[in-house]
Amino acid sequence: MQAGIIDQGLELMLYGMGTVVVFLALLVVATTLMSRFVGRFFPEPEVEAPAPRATASGAPTGDAQLLAVISAAIHQHRKQR
Amino acid sequence: MENLLTLWHASGLVQMEAGQAAMIFIGLLLLFLAIRKGFEPLLLVPIGFGGILANIPGAGLAYSAVENALHHADPLVLAEITELFSLPADAGIKSLLAAVDGAGPVVQLTLQRLAESAGYSNGMLYNFYNVAIASGVAPLVIFMGVGAMTDFGPLLANPRTLFLGAAAQFGIFATVLGAVGLTALGWMDFSIADAAAIGIIGGADGPTAIYVSSVLAPDLLGAIAVAAYSYMALVPMIQPPIMRALTTREERAIEMKQLRHVSKREKIVFPLVLLILVALLLPDAAPLLGMFCFGNLMKECGVVDRLSDTVQNSLINITTIFLGLSVGSKLVASKFLDVETLGILGLGIVAFGIGTACGVLMAKLMNRFSAVPLNPLIGSAGVSAVPMAARVSNKLGLEANPHNFLLMHAMGPNVAGVIGSAVAAGVMISLVG
Repeated sequence: MQAGIIDQGLELMLYGMGTVVVFLALLVVATTLMSRFVGRFFPEPEVEAPAPRATASGAPTGDAQLLAVISAAIHQHRKQR
Repeated sequence: MENLLTLWHASGLVQMEAGQAAMIFIGLLLLFLAIRKGFEPLLLVPIGFGGILANIPGAGLAYSAVENALHHADPLVLAEITELFSLPADAGIKSLLAAVDGAGPVVQLTLQRLAESAGYSNGMLYNFYNVAIASGVAPLVIFMGVGAMTDFGPLLANPRTLFLGAAAQFGIFATVLGAVGLTALGWMDFSIADAAAIGIIGGADGPTAIYVSSVLAPDLLGAIAVAAYSYMALVPMIQPPIMRALTTREERAIEMKQLRHVSKREKIVFPLVLLILVALLLPDAAPLLGMFCFGNLMKECGVVDRLSDTVQNSLINITTIFLGLSVGSKLVASKFLDVETLGILGLGIVAFGIGTACGVLMAKLMNRFSAVPLNPLIGSAGVSAVPMAARVSNKLGLEANPHNFLLMHAMGPNVAGVIGSAVAAGVMISLVG
């Protein structure tokens, strides 16, 4: 009986630990596959990417306008003095 | 004068037994630890208070109607029970209680009716316990809330960290072996089911521990829950010495690559993948992991924010109150003051230690054989205890290298540990239960 319970404990340890490792290993495989699948076939619609491009392309015109305004202001200022 | 005497005999002072006084003291100690030292206060305050309530002499809040009748020594009920079990007429209350405990369900029902007809009823905490824990509801609802609070992002960015969560579960099974070893030596008396329930303390996950022990060893539930929650609070003290002993300074200073961005769609699909895997391979873990996945899906899908909000806040809070009080109901002197409780407390801390050590060793191994650097400190986070264990990893990493932020990296093994211990719980229930 007393040796029996040790055997039961060992058995539980073997099967238990085995199941945990196998299950999580399968989960690693499944997760990696899922991530690749989602990444390839259902990539996230890129919302952020166009936004900076828009400002980047808009930047030169903005800068030119800003430059014009600033130089005009400086011109005014100098004329006043 | 006679009324005065009746009142005096009904008072707590007269009926107080040494065990009850000791348990009330333990309840006060738990309250002190929770309020003054900040040990898991959300659980230890209700558990401690429930423990005090359960031990109020004469009130019988934690007893069933039958036990209440026996403790009041109602002559009518006593006579009936003695007759029912054909015990000698002078059998003590202790042997009657033992006979009632061992009776089959049909006899239990008869006894219940007998006690109720004699005017006794179930204690309040006994009812809470039946509704919240014996039915399995409260730990599962809490698990759903935990799922809704969990972010699988770090795990999805680096799925290999699941192995760390697996390695740390070795603590659970090593402790099972320790418990059966103590039994074989004749020092304690644990059945294999008891040993399994004690081992799950090493999972460092309160609801899982309570769920497993409510199925496998309801008698030990009080001690197991108290051990699990107090050691979870002690994680910042238990883990660092083990982690320092097993790693070199250079290893602790390893910086890890920043985690990749994880898309929302991956996060939505992951709980479903996990659920399908559980359904196919380990249906016994389905109650725990099913609720966990459901909670997580509610959070990630983004269309049921109201439900997700309820699960994360009001529902989990309400459930915690009743779970705590119900656990407290198991802190009755006759069931808690036992050598076995000491054994459980001792084995629990061993479980934590072994789990931490195995996680760190596994992380060292993975670091050795992988191209991407992996800091062994995150291995210790494999023993769930979310998010305390991850914070400990982060703190030790910062000590060795002030630019080393491990918190997000450690969250991966941390949530992997939750999945791992739920899987371990499923295995135990299917093999032993």
